[in-house]
Amino acid sequence: LPAGLSQWFPALEVLDVSGTGLTEMGTELLALPCLHTLLAKNNRLGGPGSLPKGLEQAPLARSLRVLNLSGNRFSELPPALLQLRGLRSLSLGGNRLHGIPPDIQELHSLEFLYLGGNFITAIPPELAKLPSLRYLVLCDNKIQSIPPQLAQLHSLRSLSLHNNLLTYLPREILNLVHLEELSLRGNPLVVRFVRDLTYNPPSLQELAGRTVKTRNVPYAPSDLPDSLVRYLSLASNCPNPKCGGVYFDSCVRQIKFVDFCGKYRLPLMHYLCSPECSSPFSSASQSSTSQSSTSQSESDSEDEASVAAHRMQKVLLG
Amino acid sequence: MEQPVQTETWKARSLEELVRILHQIFAEDKVSVDEVHALMESYESNPEEWLQYAKFDQYRYTRNLVDSGNGKFNLMILCWGEGHGSSIHDHTDSHCFMKILQGNLKETLFEWPEKKGNGEMTKKSERVLRENQCAYINDSIGLHRVENISHTEPAVSLHLYSPPFDTCNTFDQRTGHKHKVTMTFYSQFGERTVC
Repeated sequence: LPAGLSQWFPALEVLDVSGTGLTEMGTELLALPCLHTLLAKNNRLGGPGSLPKGLEQAPLARSLRVLNLSGNRFSELPPALLQLRGLRSLSLGGNRLHGIPPDIQELHSLEFLYLGGNFITAIPPELAKLPSLRYLVLCDNKIQSIPPQLAQLHSLRSLSLHNNLLTYLPREILNLVHLEELSLRGNPLVVRFVRDLTYNPPSLQELAGRTVKTRNVPYAPSDLPDSLVRYLSLASNCPNPKCGGVYFDSCVRQIKFVDFCGKYRLPLMHYLCSPECSSPFSSASQSSTSQSSTSQSESDSEDEASVAAHRMQKVLLG
Repeated sequence: MEQPVQTETWKARSLEELVRILHQIFAEDKVSVDEVHALMESYESNPEEWLQYAKFDQYRYTRNLVDSGNGKFNLMILCWGEGHGSSIHDHTDSHCFMKILQGNLKETLFEWPEKKGNGEMTKKSERVLRENQCAYINDSIGLHRVENISHTEPAVSLHLYSPPFDTCNTFDQRTGHKHKVTMTFYSQFGERTVC
């Protein structure tokens, strides 16, 4: 970037240096107090010096709203970028990212995040801590699973997951009430009813923990070692509404299908506290025999699913 | 449309001229697919002429009506953000011409699913269309999915449909199941349409 940029154009609001072969952007940027949009796509950024030092103290850290770094050579999200606390829109499409740092949650004003066309293999649950995120693009990556915490993105309107390595989705995805667009094509989603019958029996600690929780055995932090108090706080509720049980580490993974808007059957993964428990999507009640319903029909469109389908009214599935 | 004895070789020197010639062609009883195809391809995209119709949406591609062809055709501009794509769809017995005005679009052709089919749809072919190229499809050729596969560049395309239609079927690639949808315009004649 030319030296003296901020002296010539002190009121600069939008800077587009796309396609200029830039390898680094230096301190010339820092003295632009009005800059809200920086477009630097299709350059050769990615090495050290891609973003200027001293970003944290610069007015730019608060003023910048839109940053487009797509089509560069970033193999990791530059830590300096996380200083841009006012950032609303970030694009790193078409780079060489292998992951997303958990610290992405520091960009708490983020509404638009484009990470398509990278080599990302996993999504950190911390991504779900972005309260204003409306548009999340993760297409054309190598993602194998979606953390259930992603369902906490209450503002999410559009989620792009096409061309990844997903075999199923977490059932919590049904909680994304405002989701209108969801792309899933080009994923090896399981198409047949799958049931993971391997079930590691619970440990004694787990059995005791379950009993404490389900029987509401009172306890105070002074009664137990810290580690056990922490352990008890990690109980998850069995999703079977007729069960009311809890589990800690020992659970049954099950993939069931949910009809979305009557046109697409999604495999959702959920956890049950024991093989005897049945999924909330089936009408089969809890029974003491392991009469797992292998004859259960694949087109489960029970209450919960149809409520979810009603919520996600305009979901556009590939 | 049938092949008349003589086909004109048109050259549209502007978008306005393209529309004018289209009206002329479609005023006739018989219209040639090749003639319209050649006309569409002859227009060299000039953003100044169509920028007013190119309204992008953050979340998905948009359809912006340019001309309603006296009821004989619809001419519209589609705006595709990075990563935006369509579902697999048919064309309700109409002719569809698609010309790239900016960027690139990938077109994937699919066979019609079997009547009783319940398996993955069959891909016939795919290609990336470049600026000013024009593709043609109708239901007898098959179904297609159109997408902007670029993660850095938006794309703009010019579409002509004859006769006009506002519903079509979208298809689930994994099962071949179809679903009727109604299409809407994001803007008409340069004005944003409020839904």
